[in-house]
Amino acid sequence: MSFCAQVGDGRCSSVFNAKLDCALTFSKKDVNDQEAQDRDIELLRQIAAGDRAAFADFYDRHSTLMFSVACRILNDPGEAQDVLQEVFVQIWEKAGRFDSRLGKASSWAVALVRNKSIDRTRASQRRTRLAESAQADQAVTTQLSPSVNETIHGSENAKLIQSAIDELPSEQRHAIELAYFSGLTHDEISTKLNEPLGTIKARIRRGLLKLRDQLEGVL
Amino acid sequence: MIDERTQEQAALHVLGALSETDAREFNQRLQTDPELQAYVARLSAATDALAGSVPTVEPPPQLRAKILAQVAGRQKIVSPPERKFDFLSWLSWALATGLAVLCILFNVRDTQLRKTIGDQAQQIDNLNQLAQTLQSATNDLQKTVLALQETNRLANLHIAMLNSLLADAPKAIAVSLWDNQRQDGVFVAQNLKGLPPDRDYQLWVIDGQTPVAAGVFHVEQNGAVRMNFKPTQFVKTAGQFAVTEEVKGGVASPTLKNMVLASN
Repeated sequence: MSFCAQVGDGRCSSVFNAKLDCALTFSKKDVNDQEAQDRDIELLRQIAAGDRAAFADFYDRHSTLMFSVACRILNDPGEAQDVLQEVFVQIWEKAGRFDSRLGKASSWAVALVRNKSIDRTRASQRRTRLAESAQADQAVTTQLSPSVNETIHGSENAKLIQSAIDELPSEQRHAIELAYFSGLTHDEISTKLNEPLGTIKARIRRGLLKLRDQLEGVL
Repeated sequence: MIDERTQEQAALHVLGALSETDAREFNQRLQTDPELQAYVARLSAATDALAGSVPTVEPPPQLRAKILAQVAGRQKIVSPPERKFDFLSWLSWALATGLAVLCILFNVRDTQLRKTIGDQAQQIDNLNQLAQTLQSATNDLQKTVLALQETNRLANLHIAMLNSLLADAPKAIAVSLWDNQRQDGVFVAQNLKGLPPDRDYQLWVIDGQTPVAAGVFHVEQNGAVRMNFKPTQFVKTAGQFAVTEEVKGGVASPTLKNMVLASN
């Protein structure tokens, strides 16, 4: 049993310390993650060759995460379905363009969904409103539903991940979420938060680096 | 080592927050910078965490069937995998491109050279035609010159008839054709009296009052002779011609009493 599971409230107070204690768990997970990544790369190769069974497999592996992200950005399950459909058609046609040097297949697929969803919000001119309402809703939905991280990585790791996110200074987290979920450019974030552009860029960079360092070995 | 500005751009890139221009520039650099690729890949773990932090929402079960059906109905355009940057491959393409450019340049140069050669061949043909025309004109001129020379030569010829001065050979007769310009001539005689072996006839050209020796000849029984002659010294004006009988080989001054033929 890992250190994390032994924590009384089920949540590591420090992700950094927990990482050291959970090394055995993570090393086993790393192997599984690598296998999963290799499997995804192989599936995309097969999809590029026209393999429908591989396409169905890829759908089963990632559609929940992708749909959840679409719902989070669009805050509209109907539109999220349209986006998911469009993105999977895109994957069917452009699987050969995936470059494993630039990240995981799941990251690539989520980026496609995220970009397509942001495009929709831009097209409908309601981005700002959605950004604000989604942030308000998130607090509620988070209470009601487990996160995708929990579904994918299990509750222990999901808690570590969430803890890492929560430990970010609020201004860094806010800037990152505005960029990622609301699709605002750094210029727009700067305007919205009434902060200098350099400050916004630095916040985003520092926040992501901290998150990356906290999560090294977890994801 | 990735500088701070690039780190900022990488962070904005994984969040999809770069402007369109910056994104294009960054993606170009990303394609060729393995260190930046690794950095972006590690940074994307953070966005994975963000994406995973959203509440789980399962897609409707019918959506799967709908998407699979849609894909089944589409003609699959098998796209080749994105080409990774490979120096050897790049080098091959660079060489091939270079060769292609060289071929084009050579082809253009070849075309230019062929055109130049064609032009020069045409010029050579034109020059040959001109040369033939000039040669023909030259030949005509040469013929004209020869004709003029011949006319001039004939004009310079001095023809003299020599008559016999001997009673015992009254039919002896000779003709001398003298070209004063060339300082030579032809002498033809008939019906001369035959001479003993120790005697010769000697031809003289009379320049003013001075006889100039012009050659010796011997006549056999038929009495005929034909010879080309050239005086032993320059003859200014060949006024007369004469033939004397002399000792074998001739003499320096004519023996007047032995004069056989003389012109008027």
